[in-house]
Amino acid sequence: MKVMVVDDEKIVLDSCRKVFSAEGWEVIVEPSADSAIEALTTVRPSLFLIDMKMPVHDGMYLMDRIKEKAPGVPVIVMSGYHTREAIEESKKKGAVLFLMKPFTPDELVEAVRQVLEPKGA
Amino acid sequence: MSAKKIFHSTTFKLITSFLGATLLQSILFLSLGANLLNQVMRAETENRIRMDLNAAREIYSANIAAVRGSLFYTALAPDFASMVEDRNGQELSDILSMVARSAGLDFIGIQTADGKVLNAKMGGDFRPEESENSIAEQVFGRMVPVAGTVLADRAFLSAQDPGLAERARIKILPDYEKAAEEKNILSAGLVIAAGVPVLREGRVIAVLYGGMLVNRGITIVDTVKDTVFQNETYKGSSVGTATIFLNDVRVSTNVMTAEAVRAVGTRVSPEVRDRVLSKGGRWIGEAFVVNDWYITAYEPIEDLDGKKVGMLYVGVLEQKYNDIRRKILSIFVLITLAGMALAVGLGIILSRRILSPIVRLIRASRQVSDGSLTPDIGPLAGDEIGVLQSTFMDMVREMGRRRSESETRLLQSEKQASVGRLAAGVAHEINNPLTGVLTYTHMLLRRKDLSDDMRSDLQVVAESTERVRKIVKGLLDFSRQTRLDPEPTEINRVVASTIQLVENQALLKGIAIRFHPGENLPVLILDRSQIRSVFLNIIINAIDATDPGGSITIYTASALSVSESEQTGVEITIADTGCGIPAEHLDKIFDPFFTTKEVGQGTGLGLAVSYGIVKRHGGTIRVQSEKGRGTRFFVWLPVKEGTAFAVGAEE
Repeated sequence: MKVMVVDDEKIVLDSCRKVFSAEGWEVIVEPSADSAIEALTTVRPSLFLIDMKMPVHDGMYLMDRIKEKAPGVPVIVMSGYHTREAIEESKKKGAVLFLMKPFTPDELVEAVRQVLEPKGA
Repeated sequence: MSAKKIFHSTTFKLITSFLGATLLQSILFLSLGANLLNQVMRAETENRIRMDLNAAREIYSANIAAVRGSLFYTALAPDFASMVEDRNGQELSDILSMVARSAGLDFIGIQTADGKVLNAKMGGDFRPEESENSIAEQVFGRMVPVAGTVLADRAFLSAQDPGLAERARIKILPDYEKAAEEKNILSAGLVIAAGVPVLREGRVIAVLYGGMLVNRGITIVDTVKDTVFQNETYKGSSVGTATIFLNDVRVSTNVMTAEAVRAVGTRVSPEVRDRVLSKGGRWIGEAFVVNDWYITAYEPIEDLDGKKVGMLYVGVLEQKYNDIRRKILSIFVLITLAGMALAVGLGIILSRRILSPIVRLIRASRQVSDGSLTPDIGPLAGDEIGVLQSTFMDMVREMGRRRSESETRLLQSEKQASVGRLAAGVAHEINNPLTGVLTYTHMLLRRKDLSDDMRSDLQVVAESTERVRKIVKGLLDFSRQTRLDPEPTEINRVVASTIQLVENQALLKGIAIRFHPGENLPVLILDRSQIRSVFLNIIINAIDATDPGGSITIYTASALSVSESEQTGVEITIADTGCGIPAEHLDKIFDPFFTTKEVGQGTGLGLAVSYGIVKRHGGTIRVQSEKGRGTRFFVWLPVKEGTAFAVGAEE
């Protein structure tokens, strides 16, 4: 179990790392889309958790790259600016879930579990 | 067109119509009145002249009777007959002279059966008869007294008194001369005469005769003038005149010529002569007599044989009647002129009274178009103009209300736009650190080694953060650029499903929710979930504001929009019996962050969000409230898909 979290906000990265570590999951955090793309040449996560709005390249751009470099890996999009448009756009790009910021640790874990361990599976 | 011009042209129209009406009426009355006046006056004067003629005839006849009477009583004297038989000439002559004097006779005489004559001028001698004496012959023939008019020839008159023949001789005035062959000197005399038989033992032994010469006489005509016309004068001339004609020549008259002498020797007009003398009728009507117009009456005078020998005339000056008529007509005209002046005056006054409020209204509407909402329309009139004035003021007030409404609406959307921009920025920035706070707080709370104090403190942090999270979410809901997801919707269903959501909550509080769905409502194109959230928000507010035992009533009905366009749509009314909203809060309830609930109970965004949603649907949301009696929300949604659907909220 390896989750890559991409966000330009350090506190979000730290929060995610803390929660996932507590669950015993491996966490890779990247502060930008570009660094995440670069990291993808060496690692292959089982799940992406990416922020939608980031400077330089945003989450949508990153999702396109992920599709090329790690096809089939599920992506959860998170954002503090959760408009209906944003949700629909990310769905269109292939995101499996839209996670609204802020979230509690339980909500975060629940979201990941929902993706990786669908009920009945 | 300026108010002044309107005023003047309308005044002009009013006055013209008044004048027209007056003029028309006046002309009608004048012509009718003049006609009627003419007819009445003509009938009246003709009637009068007819009566005057009768009176004149009576006077004429009375004169004949007087002659007859004087002779009759003379002949009746006891020894008169014997004196005649005895040919007591001197005594008889004295008696005749005396009778002639006392009775005013111009001649008197006795003709005996054997053809001898004695008269007053002869001084006692019976002489053989020299001239024809028609009177005596009549008496001898009929054996009774006769009296009447006689045409006496010059011979007879000379025989009676040469002076009498002279008096009878009348020269026809030059202007009235006929063709040369006819004689233009009148020598015969018109005589009022009588004859009575002088009887001796049943035989007529003689005839006592006598009479008055009418020619140049003035007794009869002036008596008529004095008694019938009472010597009335008009502008220096006599109003009434009388004339006796011998045939068609005036022989005794008080009609004056231009030289102010009696018009003896003048002739009557051919028309009158023809009518009266030839045909024997009366003439009544206007006629030109000598030198003036008169209203006249003529009738024939017949002699003892019934032959027409002359005419009797009376006439009154037409001038007098014409002047009276003219006077009356001028009074009519004066009245008309006064009426016209009155019409003009009335027109001016009326138009002032009618138009001044209108002119003021025109000025007022100019003031309104210049931006004033409190134009001066002056005092209210009591009539339709007053209605117009108050309608105008209603209109101005309504304009003012709508203006302030649309200003409010504009203000509201500006507020929303700026708050929206602010909220979006804040939300984005806050949500990241909030994630940190939430994560770390919850992670700490998971630890087992926390003291109770720390745990409860952390709990407070976690709960407060939850509140922050809610507020930010509300902010984002309010500001987010939400695209509508419209679909054909039955509004009653949306309302019913909303009510279902809150029914339990209301029941728990002891509040009844009643729903009166309107029938045959049009299908609306709506984003159901958003509209539902609007209703939900209002109903929850209502539940919060209503005490147990109260009720919330919801109606739906077809309604036109309250805006100027009067679009068709549906209005949903949500009425509660709650505490109401104070007037000073009413205009703020749609502002973001405005709330009257206790801290922590509401975000102050619900109605602001609802406002935004309804607005995006092209609808309106209004509120009416009375403190202590309840609140009514009116949500109006348009039927047709308006342009508002295409417009998202501000960024």
